[in-house]
Amino acid sequence: MSNNIVESVPGVALAPSRYRNQISKYIVYRDKTCINCGKCVEVCTVGVHQQAGTSSFSRPEEHKCVGISCNACVDSCPQGALSVIINPMMEMLGDYRWTNDLILSTWYQAETGKVPTNGLEYSVGNSGGGFDRLKIKFPENPSIKLKNEEISTAIPLNRRNDSAHRVEIGLPVYGGGMSFGSVGLSTIIGKARAAKAWNTFTCTGEGGYHTTLYPYDDHVITQVATGLFGVREDTIKRVKIVEFKYAQGAKPGLGGHLLGDKNTPEVAVMREALPGSALFSPFPFHSVYSVEDHKKHVDWIKAMNPKALVSVKVSTPTDVDMVAIGSYYAEAHIIHIDGSYGGTGAAPNIAKKNIAMPIEYAIPKVHNFLKAEGVRDKITLIASGGIRTAQDAAKAIALGADGVVIGTAEMVALECVRCANCESGRGCPRGIATTDKELTHHFDSDWSSQRLTNLLSSWHTQLVDILKKLGMRSIQELVGRHDCLEYEGVKIG
Amino acid sequence: MVNNFAEQVINSRERLKDDIMPDKWQTEAEGGCGVVGFACSVPVRGRHIFEPSIQMHNRGNGKGGGIAAVGFDPKHFGISKETLDDCYLLQIALLDPTAKGEVEKDCILPFMDVTHSAMIPTIDDYQEIGLEVKPPDVCQYFVRIKEDVLTQFIKENNLAGMDLRKAEDEFIYQNTFKLNKQFYASLDEKGEKRAFVLSHGRNMMILKVVGYAEQAVQYYQMDDFKAHVWIAHQRYPTRGRLWHPGGAHPFIGLNEALVHNGDFANYHSVSEYLYQRNIQPLFLTDTEVSVLVFDLLNRTYGYPLEYIVEALAPTTELDFDQLPAEKQRIYRHIQELHVHGSPDGPWLFIIARNDAENKKLQLIGITDTAMLRPQVFALQEGEIQIGIIGSEKQAIDAILNSLSKEDKRFHLIADKYWNARGGSHTDGGAFIFTLDENGGEQKKQKKLTCTDKFGRVIKTTENQTHPDLSVIIQTTQQSQSIKERFAACSSMELFEYLKDNLKDWDYNTFRWVCHEMVSMAAGNDQDKTKTLEILTLLNDQRYDTGTKKRSGILEILKLTLHDVFESTKDLSHSDGVYKLIDFKKRNTLRAPRDNEQVLIIDAHDFTPEGEDCDSHLVVAAYNLGWKRFICYGYLGQRFCGCGLGLNTQGVRIDIYDSSGDYIASGIDGLEIFIHGNAQDQLGQIMKSGKLVIYGDAGQTFMYGAKGGNVYVLGNIAGRPMINAVGRPRVVINGTCLDFLAESFMAGDPLNGGGFVILNGIEFDEIRGKFVEQPSPYPGSNLFSLASGGAIYVRDPHKKMVKGQLNGGEFVRLTPEDWQVMLPYLQENERLFGISIEELLVVDDVRKEPEEVYRKVTVAKKKVMVEVDGED
Repeated sequence: MSNNIVESVPGVALAPSRYRNQISKYIVYRDKTCINCGKCVEVCTVGVHQQAGTSSFSRPEEHKCVGISCNACVDSCPQGALSVIINPMMEMLGDYRWTNDLILSTWYQAETGKVPTNGLEYSVGNSGGGFDRLKIKFPENPSIKLKNEEISTAIPLNRRNDSAHRVEIGLPVYGGGMSFGSVGLSTIIGKARAAKAWNTFTCTGEGGYHTTLYPYDDHVITQVATGLFGVREDTIKRVKIVEFKYAQGAKPGLGGHLLGDKNTPEVAVMREALPGSALFSPFPFHSVYSVEDHKKHVDWIKAMNPKALVSVKVSTPTDVDMVAIGSYYAEAHIIHIDGSYGGTGAAPNIAKKNIAMPIEYAIPKVHNFLKAEGVRDKITLIASGGIRTAQDAAKAIALGADGVVIGTAEMVALECVRCANCESGRGCPRGIATTDKELTHHFDSDWSSQRLTNLLSSWHTQLVDILKKLGMRSIQELVGRHDCLEYEGVKIG
Repeated sequence: MVNNFAEQVINSRERLKDDIMPDKWQTEAEGGCGVVGFACSVPVRGRHIFEPSIQMHNRGNGKGGGIAAVGFDPKHFGISKETLDDCYLLQIALLDPTAKGEVEKDCILPFMDVTHSAMIPTIDDYQEIGLEVKPPDVCQYFVRIKEDVLTQFIKENNLAGMDLRKAEDEFIYQNTFKLNKQFYASLDEKGEKRAFVLSHGRNMMILKVVGYAEQAVQYYQMDDFKAHVWIAHQRYPTRGRLWHPGGAHPFIGLNEALVHNGDFANYHSVSEYLYQRNIQPLFLTDTEVSVLVFDLLNRTYGYPLEYIVEALAPTTELDFDQLPAEKQRIYRHIQELHVHGSPDGPWLFIIARNDAENKKLQLIGITDTAMLRPQVFALQEGEIQIGIIGSEKQAIDAILNSLSKEDKRFHLIADKYWNARGGSHTDGGAFIFTLDENGGEQKKQKKLTCTDKFGRVIKTTENQTHPDLSVIIQTTQQSQSIKERFAACSSMELFEYLKDNLKDWDYNTFRWVCHEMVSMAAGNDQDKTKTLEILTLLNDQRYDTGTKKRSGILEILKLTLHDVFESTKDLSHSDGVYKLIDFKKRNTLRAPRDNEQVLIIDAHDFTPEGEDCDSHLVVAAYNLGWKRFICYGYLGQRFCGCGLGLNTQGVRIDIYDSSGDYIASGIDGLEIFIHGNAQDQLGQIMKSGKLVIYGDAGQTFMYGAKGGNVYVLGNIAGRPMINAVGRPRVVINGTCLDFLAESFMAGDPLNGGGFVILNGIEFDEIRGKFVEQPSPYPGSNLFSLASGGAIYVRDPHKKMVKGQLNGGEFVRLTPEDWQVMLPYLQENERLFGISIEELLVVDDVRKEPEEVYRKVTVAKKKVMVEVDGED
């Protein structure tokens, strides 16, 4: 069997914004002097202007507009009826890490499945550090010239080569754990369907295993987190991967916490708790206070589901390398390190901003340590916590990870605006991070799965392009290639 | 005695440490481990550490093991008793064999008179016993400090007037520090470390290897070496490649060796605390700093053991309030002074020491205030006395098993097993087994006394004896009548008869009866079932045993049950109800045929986890159609009952002997009966079904459980029922260490939700009747942060106070509550013989349920604070 699992790009299809007026970078005004001559339609290369008939125009599709640098329509309009300005909303949208360009370009990819061509910056943010200063060094001429179809983005997840499942995923990317309760069902199912389309995985988070996920069992990771909410033997037995969440990078030292308002009757049923009461997960696992307890914990999972791969998700304290090697000796298959940038707005600020190590420091630390211990090729290293773009993923891999897990990028693909109010009231005004009845039917899982499939499709295209330029046949060749990266010095002034 | 020399001693150490405090104390990462120790009134051979050590392999990773032994026979070394008692036994590990000359020249010969020295003999080929790294050569020296050297030392350090032995102790200690610094710590990581001191105390020694603890015994040929006190440690270092055992436990103070299970969060702080007192750790493990703190408090500050324990594991919360005022005053001072030296985190220390000053040998177990590590203490007092401390009960049973194979004065089952309540006012979280010179009935024995932190003596019941199993069983007049009764009575009737008569029988009669039952069981399957039922009832129930120890009765029953199990046919036959399978024949497993119903699994040789664990065999057999299981011969194998899947109603597993961790975790429908004490992490995420434990249970019981009906005869260790949701219904007849039902979310008990009935009783060891425990719940935390469910606690004297609750409140028991409780108390009565009527009798007066039970439920007011939500 070819190790290129994804033989053709799965089902990309247009999945336009669910809002009538999509937020766009530019605003295109058409005043009443327009004579409906159609000149703008001819000159616009991206399809902003469309005639609705012989006598009128539909509203300009502003989110496609490449901006003032083009101005072709404005310049060609005989009436001077058109003008293009930067949307004043851009000042409010995004932040230094997730710039408005990154949000808009993620929307673009989720809508079209394609790499943005409208001038939006889709690779890096503006944080002034981390992945935003790391650049991939491409040789002027790659050593070998490869065709797209010769390049594989697949990675194996079981490197122990033991009796557990031999799982390969088509992209070095899978979906992070989001519980039912922290997000709604349309989001969860959308993630699962996209995971199936790309032969990769999504993760339950710690809110239980919804029955509607059953058709996607082979693409679901059951998370066993410290609250053990919704974790039953059955939910462990039905999957190929079980993930222990010891900690998350956004809030190491703190367990999960679902506020009473988000604990709706449906959520409470899944967690077998009382609706309306706040649900705490302890920190740490009360049954795991040491590495040999951890081994026992892993053995327990294997006693219930002997074929399961075991993933260990930890945050990135300074001794994360020791934690990783401990997980290896406990016979885990995957060590998943979660750096400090991750998390939605729901993690407490004090934790979110101050505790864990940034992921770009943690990856090489763990990678190098595992290498020195001679076990790097026996365990899969997955990184998460601030992977926003396909380029971030490639950089994380070049730093030493085998693959990445994404969370926020998925939310953005579903039109999250990063307002960071995930936890307030019954949640998300965009209907993503909520189980509130009035908010959840903002979209269905057909739409969400298409958006996410499209995003992964664009990432796939980009990863193939990166590998092609590097002259590599497989994403696995990029692992730990620090020589393929360079750090841009701090600019003074 | 107040030690006036503390300051001088501390000053004298100033020149030893580095001038500049390391800006960051690095510690090698390691987790918890397997630890075990025992103290015995007679000296026992090193080989007895084998069985528990091997069983603890899954608590270590074979990268560091060590043992310590205290209290020897001088003949072994070819020295006099005086030499053994008076001289320091300096044991030096030579990582570089060529360092010997230099070590002697620089650190021994100029200062010490060497009475005797030898290289410890080793086996020829370390690889033969499975070691990957050759252990260091170890040189032994029996030494005293030269008189003029000591005089000079006293003079230089202003120690004039100090007890000479104490000054000599200090010289030995400082000399070792210098040696370690010169030959070990000052050298870099890359393999130039040359030598270090393993131990230097009197009448004690330490050996360690890069391997498992028992390999230290094997390699240094200690199998037949006898000592009164042994401790062993399996380490789980996470760094992969080690070439020397410098970081392995035990570590030394002066006359003590310490092993440790757990790790600290405040290694840095404790190291600074030591550095401020001129002590510099050299081996970079938290175990080393633990014993350095112990030695500082003991030898430099001269604290009695009680205060040392208080400094290490402070008494807090409600427990502190319940101390006498004078103790509070002293403890407050200790806490203020030593809080920075108090290890914070999960830990259990086991210390073996020679209290040479008082001519006592001791084994000490101390647990941390939060009781985060598993720990079990045990005591057996018969012809021989033995006290044992282990991280798990299975290690204790393994020691007893090993000892009784060699010497029938040891018995398979301890008279008493218990947990310590860390930092408590009840036992202080520490127990000390002390061996006094020539205290025993025979001169060859020492006298063993077990005390808690406060000096209260823990004893087994007096005037009861163990059986002598080396005596051949004689026919008795009971013989005919028992056969007749067996034919005529139901198993319950026969049990009642035996129970009522057993107190007057001698051991021979009881053994004869058991022997007769084995032969009757061989007759047909019906009789076999009856025999198993009767023997199991005798094993599970409490009754008057007369002058016989209950542990002795249990030992006989265990052996009898094994006889019955072992006489069962294997799967190559297809007749009969019962079939036996063991590890060797595991591949003969097949679907049940004809009349076959019960699969008896001899778990003895199965691995504790993994594909060769008996839990996998149970799953495979269940998938083939087996539904009834009897599993016995356990040595701590884990996970029994896990993996059978959804809707397993109708499956029943009976478990005998030293069962392991995680039993019944995840079960949905099936029933598990544990005929004895259980270990840690049982019933995690349990969904439904039944779990019955005829004894105590360990740590984190039913963590995250969703349901199930659970009955526990005895006590549960720390943190039961945390984060349990749904509808678990649990009857605990004993009590818990602390943190019961934290974050309990089990709905409304009057409306299908879950609850715990906590009876707070225990059994009188002689009469087998239940009595109230001093408090139904001594812990400071009950039902903390709970948002659902309830605790029904039997507390007729209103001993529990509001301060024990954090978010809960006491409310009056209603008739509706009683109706909900009743079926569970009835089942409890049926299972354990604890009658509801008797539970309602308080001080001989029959009371109403609401006068006896109190309900703890969620407080009306909102206790949750607003914080940010979940990712």
